[in-house]
Amino acid sequence: MLIMTSETSHEEQLQLQKEQQHPVIADLCLHLSSKSSISTPSTALPPHPPSTDKLPSSSSSSSKKSKRSSIPLPVAAIRVLLNVIRRSKAETMMGLQADLREASDVMVNFAKLGGPIPAVLINNDNNTANNTKQQQRYLLAGRSHIALSSGCELFLKYVTRASLETPDFTSCKSQVLERGERFAEFSLAARDRISSVGGPFVREGSVVLTHGRSRVVESLLLRAALVEKKRFRVMVLEGRPDAAGAKSARTYEKNGIPTTVVLDSAMGYVMERVDMVIVGAEGVVENGGVVNKVGTFSLGVMAKELGVPFYVAAESYKFTRLYPLNNSDLPEMGGIGESLQFLDTLNWSASGSRKNDDGDEKKEESTPTSSLQDVKDYVVNLPSTVEVQNPPCDFTPAKYITLLFTDLGVLTPSAVSDELIRLYQ
Amino acid sequence: MGAEEVAAAAAAEPAKKEKKKPTNIVIPPKKPKLSKAERRALQEAQRAAKAEGGGSKPKPKKGGGDNGAASNKGAASNNKASGVDDKRSTAEGAADGEGQENNSGSSATDNKKDDKTVSLFSHLPQPKHPTDQHLSSISSTIDNNLHPAVPTLGHLYQTHSLLGGNARCRAMLQTFALLLQSYTPPPDTRDFRVDVDHSLLKPAFQYWTTQCRPHSVSMGNAFSFLKLAVANLERDLEWNEAREILLESLEAYVTERVQYAGKAISRHAGSKIQDKGDVILVFGRSEVINRLLLDAALTDGKTFRVIVVDSRPLLEGRDTLEILSRAGIQCTYVLLNALSYLMMREVTKVFLGASALMSNGSVLSRVGTACVALLANSNHIPVLVGCETYKICNRVQLESITGNELGDAEEVAFTDCARVGPSNRWGEEKKKDGSVLSDWKSQPNLKLLNLMYDLTPSSAVTGIVTEVGILPPSSVAVLLREMNPDSAFKGTD
Repeated sequence: MLIMTSETSHEEQLQLQKEQQHPVIADLCLHLSSKSSISTPSTALPPHPPSTDKLPSSSSSSSKKSKRSSIPLPVAAIRVLLNVIRRSKAETMMGLQADLREASDVMVNFAKLGGPIPAVLINNDNNTANNTKQQQRYLLAGRSHIALSSGCELFLKYVTRASLETPDFTSCKSQVLERGERFAEFSLAARDRISSVGGPFVREGSVVLTHGRSRVVESLLLRAALVEKKRFRVMVLEGRPDAAGAKSARTYEKNGIPTTVVLDSAMGYVMERVDMVIVGAEGVVENGGVVNKVGTFSLGVMAKELGVPFYVAAESYKFTRLYPLNNSDLPEMGGIGESLQFLDTLNWSASGSRKNDDGDEKKEESTPTSSLQDVKDYVVNLPSTVEVQNPPCDFTPAKYITLLFTDLGVLTPSAVSDELIRLYQ
Repeated sequence: MGAEEVAAAAAAEPAKKEKKKPTNIVIPPKKPKLSKAERRALQEAQRAAKAEGGGSKPKPKKGGGDNGAASNKGAASNNKASGVDDKRSTAEGAADGEGQENNSGSSATDNKKDDKTVSLFSHLPQPKHPTDQHLSSISSTIDNNLHPAVPTLGHLYQTHSLLGGNARCRAMLQTFALLLQSYTPPPDTRDFRVDVDHSLLKPAFQYWTTQCRPHSVSMGNAFSFLKLAVANLERDLEWNEAREILLESLEAYVTERVQYAGKAISRHAGSKIQDKGDVILVFGRSEVINRLLLDAALTDGKTFRVIVVDSRPLLEGRDTLEILSRAGIQCTYVLLNALSYLMMREVTKVFLGASALMSNGSVLSRVGTACVALLANSNHIPVLVGCETYKICNRVQLESITGNELGDAEEVAFTDCARVGPSNRWGEEKKKDGSVLSDWKSQPNLKLLNLMYDLTPSSAVTGIVTEVGILPPSSVAVLLREMNPDSAFKGTD
């Protein structure tokens, strides 16, 4: 029996059930929850202390709450596809491509339906099958399927190109495997390259505003602070509903960068004091725009209006052949109907029910029930006739973006299409 | 331009003319080939001479007195230059004489009329008018090098019976196919490629461009392709084999770059049309846009509304309206002046066609398109331009003035919208009664301007739909580079 949320339909539930038992999905989640096991960065990239190499990677402490790994979803997907190639019984390249296409469709569909399960609905029983499924959905939480599908598309293009160059099947298969491994490595090393090209843009004494929790942006700012030894402040938007900004604020503060957290709605208020805005991306679309956590579009418009440069840090495998005309033209995203919890935190903290310490996690876990009791009084319950829309992502058109930091270098938005034409030729 | 400057320019030109005598190719030696600049200079010189001399042979030209005479004379000399026989020009001479006799009464007043050309657009050739000269010349060209199909098509171009980049290009290629089929190389030539190019293709194309209507970018690109195909033929091929190859490549060009491209564009743009709720605005008539709307409605079964915006004098939107409403699409029809009312209220997307794409991403299209695109832009409505890649031009154009085409100014004056099609006009007597501007020629200080094209800047276009997909306007240059890898500048790496 699956967890029934009020939003997902019965058909979707069945679909989800069928897919979660697919070996591809199991493989995917395995890759996502494992520790990042990447070879050392190539000598081309400048070396830096291992503390900034990878962000706090996951450690599966409990089966229910394994943290999200630092492996990007598309890279895990590519590893899965490599396994598909190894396992495939196809005798021809066409058969192999068909297998790969099927596996990637399964993964993309799964990612489309995925989304965070509200905490109050997590089942507490010990049914391991349920736990696995919860875990799987949790691992996929908040990630967009755009990067996943674009990464898979690119990998499939690589495979096709290899098959055209090498007609013989077995040698082609091994070449594809080797190329695939290199692709995965290259994608993981992309983050380091982006940090090195984007780091110089952070100037000494500046104030950097960021939104959402992007590992690329985090590694870029950490590199600027720790390796290039620059002093700057970071301002973070809180990031409702998943508190993404608040979480990344912890990371910055731990590494010694002075951080300020503000409400999402305060982005206009603080923009006058900000020297640059940098965000990550779920996907970079053909016209040079980006799809990112909801709020990025507003940030972009605000930054343009007030003359603040707006930078996007994204790996090249996120380039996708989508062409949204405006925000209404985005493809269907999972989680758009997910409910929001409306909490009056102002009065809740004013009532003194919760002591705000240094926000250490152990303390949160030790007293879950008492905090929940206190909070319940301040939760605003809406009647079911009120429609709640919670789009996870929005689209920022190219004219609001100053530059893109990618592993291919620093690009202008119009160069994205050039790269795409070359990649998908 | 004063008469003094023209005379000075004309004096400078003969020096250039002597240098230009071709040395390698065998051509009718008597008349040297004049370049376009030289022909213009000749025309200006003659016009200046006429202005001073007092008008000996005024032609019944609707575009304006002196200009008409000068340009027709210039046209006569053009004919000589392209190697057409003397017989034809004497036919024109006879017509000239007739015209003179008919209008001897008005010759005096013609000379005194003001120059009706708009000086800002004086660099563009004046529009040609179909007179009896062309219809009679069809019979006379049977004895000449020009196949009768050539002036037939030319007549269609000139009377605006055949409009639209794709239609004109297709007709041109069909005529070329006809020409190739009826051609036999002269027995003493060793290399028929030169002869085909020189006596078959080039005269026809020049005839259409200089005598009938300036060619569109689509026609120009297709003609370049054909010339390249001829040049790429092997030297020792038999003519029959060569002809088969040429006909096949012509067929392939039309099929791939026009027909299949149109289908691909339908597919890409169709994904942008949402079912139930989209209100799409189109302007004028574009074959590609009509195709994609029909596919979305009939094949994909989507429900949407279309607003057809039309403008004078060509009123091409009426054809669009007919095509779309016959297919069951709910249509609204307005003229251009009602545009701002609709834009703000209802329109969700704008689809536009194009005559050509410049390499900086700007779009050359029917006059009025820029209006529509800019208004949509200011209302934050996405603008999609549908254009095949064969219409991409290696030119950069920044405004609508330098590269354009003049239409007949009389069409602006003649405000009867009830006429069925543009070509009807040439058959019947002009209805002078009731039209406010019917005596515009005798009004001093009044000039009428009829432009055929305008340029939409690339910033106003959200996306260009080509057969390779939807691209931002900045990527047109990339497409050009990808299509012609040899001629691309590779840089220092």
